[in-house]
Amino acid sequence: MARTATTTASFSLSSSDLTSSALNISASQQLKKAGSRLGLSQTTGLAIKTTSSASAAVITADPLFRGDGATADKANKVYLRNLSTIDSEYFTVYIDQEEMGRLYAGDFAFFPWKAASGTKETFIVTSAGTVAAGDSWDFDGVTTVSADSNSDNFAAAVNAQFYPNWTTTVSTAAVTFTARQAGAAGVVTSSTSITGDTITDLAGSDLTMAITSAAAGTRSESDIFVKPSVHTEMSIENMLIHE
Amino acid sequence: MATTTATLILSSADVTGHNFSMTQTATLTKAASSTGLDEFTGITSRKYPAAQTDTVVVADSIYVDTTVAHKVYIRNTSTGNSDYILVELEGDVIIGRLYPGDWMFIPYAGTLDVQVTTIATNVSIEYGVFSQSTVS
Repeated sequence: MARTATTTASFSLSSSDLTSSALNISASQQLKKAGSRLGLSQTTGLAIKTTSSASAAVITADPLFRGDGATADKANKVYLRNLSTIDSEYFTVYIDQEEMGRLYAGDFAFFPWKAASGTKETFIVTSAGTVAAGDSWDFDGVTTVSADSNSDNFAAAVNAQFYPNWTTTVSTAAVTFTARQAGAAGVVTSSTSITGDTITDLAGSDLTMAITSAAAGTRSESDIFVKPSVHTEMSIENMLIHE
Repeated sequence: MATTTATLILSSADVTGHNFSMTQTATLTKAASSTGLDEFTGITSRKYPAAQTDTVVVADSIYVDTTVAHKVYIRNTSTGNSDYILVELEGDVIIGRLYPGDWMFIPYAGTLDVQVTTIATNVSIEYGVFSQSTVS
């Protein structure tokens, strides 16, 4: 049975002097799955991200929420709050590389999120030629050394490794690499080429690790970035509630 | 100077492993200031007889932009479960779907229109903008 939860989001806004008559707005809603009466059941939990003294480029290198962190086109919700108490300090909120707006000190935001994921880079590398014990292939900082002269065994050994940025599957001598996260990382440069791999043919055989097919990735159009107005310590409270 | 207060309450007994309840209150002020936001469009309520595509609900040309603390409130006031409103910024910058009863409250830079797209007939919406004038 699908997990469900009951979460209520209530909003109220009031002012005695913004308009000539007292203003009161309120809205309250149970957060439900798309097109359903069941409640949203997953959350990142309430988190705080504190920016450091690094440059803006470093601070914004990673999204606050990645598009592939939730199911696309659902009823996902994002909460953000600038925890600063200094009036001039703000976080600029970006979505799809466009500025939504600025969250000044104490401001909060609550909004639905499309969570479009983009596509992941992928390529197939095939062990060919004659592999010899001691030959090796290095990719993503991981080196696989052949234990024998069997290409299928070498491919299986390549597949058995843990790669920080890729997942793999194997079929005989062909290993399919798929990026863990969507994006145009630039590792896949064409349909038959990648960057960053190194082959070592120690035994003087004719081992090749040919890229037999590849596809570049595309960035997510839903990644949410926040950029602090100053690079000294600023904190943003955040939470994703999703399907 | 106007004083406008917005409050968000999020609560759940079971979305996490523990009871969760959070109340946040913000006084809506101008950018980098303790002076309150001084403009409000009022709440507009519409019921669209036909599906809408990129219908502008907030036009950026009306507002000062960039160094601002504008806020936009939108709610899908339809009933049922499935008739969502797709909210986006001008240029197909999609924010997300508001299902019936859902609401949103976001900061607004005033640089792009806010648009809505609907898939069904008779979808109801309410929206309003709290903004800052150029008057100090």
